[in-house]
Amino acid sequence: IMADDKDVLRDVWFGRIPTCFTLNQDEVTEREAEAYYLLLPRVSYLTLVTDKVKKHFLKVMRTEDVEEMWFEYEGTPLKWHYPIGVLFDLHASNSVLPWSITVHFKNFPDRDLLHCPSSSVIEAHFMSSIKEADALKHKSQVVNDMQKKDHKQLWMGLQNDKFDQFWAMNRKLMEYPTEEGGFRYIPFRIYQAMSDRPFIQKLFRPVSPEGNAYTLGDLLKEMYPAAITNDGEQKRYQVVIHGIEPLLETPLQWLSEHLSHPDNFLHICVVPTPSD
Amino acid sequence: MAERRGECLWKKHVAEQLKLRDREQRQAFEEIILQYNRLLEKADLQAVLSERYQADKYDVQRGHESSAADSSRSDALQQEMAQMRIRHQEELTELHKKRGELAQSVIELNNQIQQKDREIQNNEAKMLEYQQQISSLEGDCRELRSCLQDLERANQTLKDEYDALQITFSALEEKLRKTTEDNQELVSRWMAEKAQEANRLNAENEKDSRRRQAKLQKELADAAKEPLPIEADDDIEVLTEDAGKAGGETSPSRLLTRTPSKKISQQPPGGLLDSISLMFGYVGVCVCVRVSVCMSVCVSVRAGSGSSVLDHLAHSSALSLSLSHTLTGHSGKVLSARFLLDNARIVSGSYDRTLKLWDLRSKVCMKTVFAGSSCNDIVCTEQCVMSGHFDKKVRFWDIRAESIVRELELFGRVTSLDLNHDRTELLTCSRDDLVKIVDLRTNAVKQTLSAQGFKCGADWTRVTFSPDGSYVAGGSADGALYIWNVLTGKVDRTLDRNHSSAINSVSWSPSGAYVASVEKGSRAILWSDM
Repeated sequence: IMADDKDVLRDVWFGRIPTCFTLNQDEVTEREAEAYYLLLPRVSYLTLVTDKVKKHFLKVMRTEDVEEMWFEYEGTPLKWHYPIGVLFDLHASNSVLPWSITVHFKNFPDRDLLHCPSSSVIEAHFMSSIKEADALKHKSQVVNDMQKKDHKQLWMGLQNDKFDQFWAMNRKLMEYPTEEGGFRYIPFRIYQAMSDRPFIQKLFRPVSPEGNAYTLGDLLKEMYPAAITNDGEQKRYQVVIHGIEPLLETPLQWLSEHLSHPDNFLHICVVPTPSD
Repeated sequence: MAERRGECLWKKHVAEQLKLRDREQRQAFEEIILQYNRLLEKADLQAVLSERYQADKYDVQRGHESSAADSSRSDALQQEMAQMRIRHQEELTELHKKRGELAQSVIELNNQIQQKDREIQNNEAKMLEYQQQISSLEGDCRELRSCLQDLERANQTLKDEYDALQITFSALEEKLRKTTEDNQELVSRWMAEKAQEANRLNAENEKDSRRRQAKLQKELADAAKEPLPIEADDDIEVLTEDAGKAGGETSPSRLLTRTPSKKISQQPPGGLLDSISLMFGYVGVCVCVRVSVCMSVCVSVRAGSGSSVLDHLAHSSALSLSLSHTLTGHSGKVLSARFLLDNARIVSGSYDRTLKLWDLRSKVCMKTVFAGSSCNDIVCTEQCVMSGHFDKKVRFWDIRAESIVRELELFGRVTSLDLNHDRTELLTCSRDDLVKIVDLRTNAVKQTLSAQGFKCGADWTRVTFSPDGSYVAGGSADGALYIWNVLTGKVDRTLDRNHSSAINSVSWSPSGAYVASVEKGSRAILWSDM
């Protein structure tokens, strides 16, 4: 069984989204820019993996026209501080592949997006997510016991796409005392496509006071009951994690251990079922 | 179980969904994107090159305008370009080759890895097996050790028990030894005391008997003076004979007893005694004396070649056959006594289980031996005294060494012993109603005589050899006198008509012509024509 779990971790880590980057038509170019295709890692962040994109498009642009690069999909600016997989599942999960992203070099939307001047900003954001997750799971004991080099190892693992290097450290964050039966609270975020709220994040224990393990269904019932289809009704929403729909009876503790992102959060997207 | 199946269900679902997703989103596009990017690179390269060439072309065009000398330069340029193209193509093919090789090595390494993985799995399985074996062996070992411990404990218990028993045994042995010692001590003390008592009584009896002797002498002297007529209604009768020979003579004379004993024939008055001996005129009278119940002893005499005996006896009285001496010392009734062949000593056997040797000159007991059983009869040869006992044994004593030379065991209490004329054969009679003749040289029973009606009447029933050793006479409990022929071993004659009670003793006359028998009912019969 452990072998299957390791496979799941690998599949999650190495998940890719075929993306087509097209330069915005309004950008001023010296000649026509071809689209740039790339397989984006689901678990990484846009600004971390798009150096090649920038280089490609900079070839056709004049340096004076280049400001901070930003991306949008069908008019929606894509927040770089969300994991790429989350952005795709939320906005384009049922659209035709490859994912078509438009690249902008002008008119950075300050109200919608955060600036990302360097990779250290991404690192800081990533590490703060990890610490927040551990605060929920272990009252920050595990992450505080780690040394600085361990934190660095986590970041380098993500940056260089090194599964073993990352998980050598991350497994410590996935441990829990056996008598508890799970983490203290599950770090999760539920994203909705059409909502003014960015996401739902609340305290939720993985194990009931009687010792029963809670499932994904229990979480949704508590946090977003509309997502659950009652008997007899048509399915209105899909509950997507890492591009798949896990069964509602999947234990929440197991999902948190195996289907979390590298930032240790379980990102859940609730999207309307495609009506084709 | 249901939990496990349920777990498998959602987990499998997740795994399947991830695989499906990868197929759709990654694998479908991976190759294309790779090739696209490569083409893009190539295109960029071509664009760069073409730009450079275009710039050069402008230069060349301008050069054309200026002079034709530039044509050589353009030729050179063209050559350069061709060379560069060739070089690039070469590089490209090389790179393709390298890529192929690397892919090949990647495949090989993957295979090796898989093989190693398989080996590892095998080894792990083997290790598991071995561990199981080890644990089962350990279990066995533990069991055996506990078995061993149990056995050791049991063994120890047995050893302890044995030791305890050993100790008890030695304690009991000690007790036994002490008790035996005490017993022996007590016996010897008792014997000593008895000896002392006997000595005391001896002295008393000495006095007593001397007094009585004097009295009897006087009486005998008086009686001898009167003649006694023989009458018909005396207790002497003449019997005619029917079957066997009956000689109706007088009862054999008897030597004196002080008090009548229960068992024996009556005592004729002294006068009768007297006259009988005179009638016969020779020695050959059998006399038997039985021991009286009280403690002093009368000497019993059986005349062997015993003229000396009578002479001896005659010494002390005017007539023969008067009481000469009383030897005291036995503590029980004296059942038998004999002169030793030197006629100076007497050996006596008693109910008190001892044999005493008396010296006639000093008239004291010289030796006492403890025989172990009441002695019923004694005979003696030159070196040997034979005594027959209550415990069915005949003991052979060496006179000089005064110890047992041999023992002969019979099947019944020995009642009688007799030697033949040349002292080579011993005649024994025992309570099992068998009369045995033992050859003294071989110490084996030579012959056994029995008869259908012959039963020993008492513990002192006597049987005797005839003087020539060819006949044996013995009396039975029903009053029949049996004569056996030694040579044939069969009953020669049965004289059963004249005795009415058990016959105690028989005796042959030295000539062999007469046999005297006495019965319990106080009758004596003298048989003639033997």
